[in-house]
Amino acid sequence: MRSSRNRLLWAVGGLVIIVYTMIPVAWIVSLSFKKGDDINNQKFLPTEWSWDNYRTVFDTDLFTSALRNSVGISLIATVISVTLATFAAYAIARLNFRGKKLVLSTALAIAMFPTVALVGPLFDMWRGLGIYDTWLGLIIPYMSFTLPLSIWTLSAFFREIPWEMEQAAQVDGATPWQAFRKVIVPLAAPGVFTAAILTFFFAWNDFVFGISLTATDRSRPVPAALAFFTGESFFQQPTAAISAAAVIVTIPVIALVLVFQRKIVAGLTSGAVKG
Amino acid sequence: MVVGAGLVACGGGGDSSTPTLTWYTNPDNGGQEDLANQCTDAAEGAYRIEISELPSDADSQREQLVRRLAANDSSIDLMSLDPVFVPEFAEAGFLRSFSDDEASTLTQDVLDGAVTTSTWNDELVAAPFWANTQLLWYRRSVAEQAGLDPENQPVTWDQIIGAAEQTGTTVDVTGARYEGYMVWINSLVASAGGQILEDPAAGKDATPTLDTDAGRSAADIIRRVGRDVAAPGLSTAIEEDARAAFQSDDGGFMVNWPYVYGAMLAAVEDGSLDQSVVDDIGWARVPRVDEGTESAPPLGGINIGIGAFGKHQDLAVEAVNCITSEDSQKAYMLAEGNPAAKSAVFDDPEIIEKFPMADLIRTSIDQATPRPQSPYYPDISAATVREFHPPASVNPDSTPRNADDLIVNVLQDKQLL
Amino acid sequence: MTTITADAPTGTTPPPAGRAPAGLSDRARSEQRLGWYLVAPAVATMLLVTAYPLGRAVYLSLFSYRLTDPGAREFVGLRNYSVVLTDGLWWQTVFTTLFITVVTVAVELVIGFAFALVMHRIVFGRRTVRTAILIPYGIITVVAAYAWQYAFALDSGFVNQWFGLGDKAWFSDRWSALAVIILAEIWKTTPFISLLLLAGLAQVPEDLQEAAKVDGATTWQRFIRVTVPNMKAAIMVALLFRTLDAYRIFDTIFIMTNGAEKTESVSFLTYRQTITRTALGLGSALSVLLFLSVALIAFVFVKGFRTDLSRVRGD
Repeated sequence: MRSSRNRLLWAVGGLVIIVYTMIPVAWIVSLSFKKGDDINNQKFLPTEWSWDNYRTVFDTDLFTSALRNSVGISLIATVISVTLATFAAYAIARLNFRGKKLVLSTALAIAMFPTVALVGPLFDMWRGLGIYDTWLGLIIPYMSFTLPLSIWTLSAFFREIPWEMEQAAQVDGATPWQAFRKVIVPLAAPGVFTAAILTFFFAWNDFVFGISLTATDRSRPVPAALAFFTGESFFQQPTAAISAAAVIVTIPVIALVLVFQRKIVAGLTSGAVKG
Repeated sequence: MVVGAGLVACGGGGDSSTPTLTWYTNPDNGGQEDLANQCTDAAEGAYRIEISELPSDADSQREQLVRRLAANDSSIDLMSLDPVFVPEFAEAGFLRSFSDDEASTLTQDVLDGAVTTSTWNDELVAAPFWANTQLLWYRRSVAEQAGLDPENQPVTWDQIIGAAEQTGTTVDVTGARYEGYMVWINSLVASAGGQILEDPAAGKDATPTLDTDAGRSAADIIRRVGRDVAAPGLSTAIEEDARAAFQSDDGGFMVNWPYVYGAMLAAVEDGSLDQSVVDDIGWARVPRVDEGTESAPPLGGINIGIGAFGKHQDLAVEAVNCITSEDSQKAYMLAEGNPAAKSAVFDDPEIIEKFPMADLIRTSIDQATPRPQSPYYPDISAATVREFHPPASVNPDSTPRNADDLIVNVLQDKQLL
Repeated sequence: MTTITADAPTGTTPPPAGRAPAGLSDRARSEQRLGWYLVAPAVATMLLVTAYPLGRAVYLSLFSYRLTDPGAREFVGLRNYSVVLTDGLWWQTVFTTLFITVVTVAVELVIGFAFALVMHRIVFGRRTVRTAILIPYGIITVVAAYAWQYAFALDSGFVNQWFGLGDKAWFSDRWSALAVIILAEIWKTTPFISLLLLAGLAQVPEDLQEAAKVDGATTWQRFIRVTVPNMKAAIMVALLFRTLDAYRIFDTIFIMTNGAEKTESVSFLTYRQTITRTALGLGSALSVLLFLSVALIAFVFVKGFRTDLSRVRGD
């Protein structure tokens, strides 16, 4: 009796959490379906649902190029960053070498770094090197700031792997490469995946570098582009267009969260919290 | 990294046969794009002009252009510049200046105000495209009630403040913490016979002169408007807010750009404004500060600059000549409602029909006073506005002096802004 | 007080099974080399974008330098620092930033704890709740800022209608604008802190809870006497990270108010001097000061509150 009352209480708590997290999301979705002057109807829901804003947004060069930039830059930065982090995490989890603590402390320090402090010097450096307003100009800082989180997540995952199984497979007759591929890789894959997702979130979300190190739609990513939307006419607020664009770029996030919820939670809590 | 090299090299491509000139514009209702197309046609294959729109507010436009030109961006061929940014860009080496011959063509028949804002260090560094000024708009019924006749008899600020008080109406201006407020402040100071900077060309070492009789008179007017006769919300009012207040039942007087006339006509057409209001509106030159001294209308507009790092600078000069020709200016004025920079346009019957106050606009532009022409203008504007905001709290005994101090400190890097 | 950690001990790895204890110098040395080769690219990338630019910032901060007037650049030594540290605007900004930090972290700690408890105990819909709670974490900060801004805006917002507030202009007043900024920040980042706390919760041994229940402790007493003390390390780590994050707030302020009405944060002030005003000298001094103040906060937490950084994920 008592325990089922408790369970109900916790379930209600869960409901509260769900409402808490979904209201702003529902709001921006609702805004994106409001047509014309309806935007200012000051109600939560539209009076009339319309796809107009989505059409406008996809017609805008500014947004479609920003989407392309964001996807390209985020994916490339993720791939390179996770690769580098995997090597480093492997070394940290498996090998014993002097300076291991130093590397982890450096990573920690980087994660605490105020990125705004870098925009001045980076702008100066990048324009000297000619990579201002290019994909590379953004990929490099993204890599630097996602490495700490990747390294931590991966070393936590790697620590859980029973490396002796690699030896066992070799004893059973597999070559070192086969042992690695058939035994280690499937065990390491979830960790690598998680690190990749967390890295992608960071790159997808960045705003500071996006607005400081870019100038044109050659390299401007979505968060920066949102801040640059002009309305259809000089005097109109771009609220509607921004809402539609905002929903579009949130869809990949929600998709990733839905599919990989368990791994993400495990990554953020270094595996302490199971399923 | 091979990947890196590929990424660095990616950039816009164009027709390799016809050179493309990219024209960075402030957003408008398509007028500049139409001109670009017309001039492309007129060029008959020599070049193509493509428009690229900048953000909608002048500060963001400047920020974008400055960063790219500081990185020696070669893709900026033409840019639509707010006149206050011309000295900064010219001093920083971002603009290609015109030779004497080119200059004489581009400034032919151009009103004085527009030429002044396109010149730096005795060189023409930008081509006058269109010029803007503000007028005094008033409700005839209110003026009549107060015994004023601004159309025929120049009025002073004292008079219109008194009239508004007497009739219980408002004086509507732009008092938000932005460039539009600086426009008003500068115009008042100039109308009082003073100036914000004594020697703007001295750059970092310029001397502000707000703490003078002229500056104090201006401050006094600002305080009285803000405290006694402004519409609520003056401290966040931009041009559209001032227009809305003027159109309401309490509206008495407004100082604003001429676009408001076209906007009000459009509002009548779509039914959101009553025709009787528009019929009741009169216009005159901006009010005087001293009864015996002509007022100094504000100056705005757009000048076209040629990027110093562009690859087709000679073609750009040709393009500019087309864009700023008399025909182009007339077409732009009819399409967008922005006054031309060339005097002859105002005599055109089509123009006069659409803008009954055309001649007044022309005179105002010709006799307008620009805002301080300094490479450090953004700092000067921000510092002045910071001290003078909100309008109701301005104190003639302290605000001008504080503004002077702040300007000096900011120019010398001795204070944050 | 017992703290049972579920993580592996630091720094040691057992030698692979089946081999005799390693011959020291040769093997150890090659492991050392291999280790360094493997971490070098990552470390180099991390330092390239932080150490060198920070060095340049320190260098630039010694000059009075405007990007648009390169000819007037002059060496001024430490003057930029004294200008900043004696400027009222700087201290007002620091105050605003600290205010936002303290309020958001305090509120998030409470709400985050509540959420963590729910996620720990819930049986129905555990997966749904976990998924929902990750959404604010994954959403782009700028998107969240726009959503909250539009909700409170005079023209498009529904908040004024729902709560009968008429014409309240939330963004025209410093404190109401800060309130909206803080709400948006809390909404976005509570999930992160609740997950960190959940990790700590999961490691509090059940038998201690049972023992306390047997002893007749109430739920609240159990919470205060058993749960929280056993989570001290996790709480401190969560606080450290959230405080540093909150102190660096930028995106939300940029979108919602663009710094108007005295809502500027230290990051925003730095951005404005550096990029908007192109005052690279003063801006670089601000960058250095921003970095130092973040380092100071981290130092206070680690040394002052004795936060056990080995509890940080992965070590």
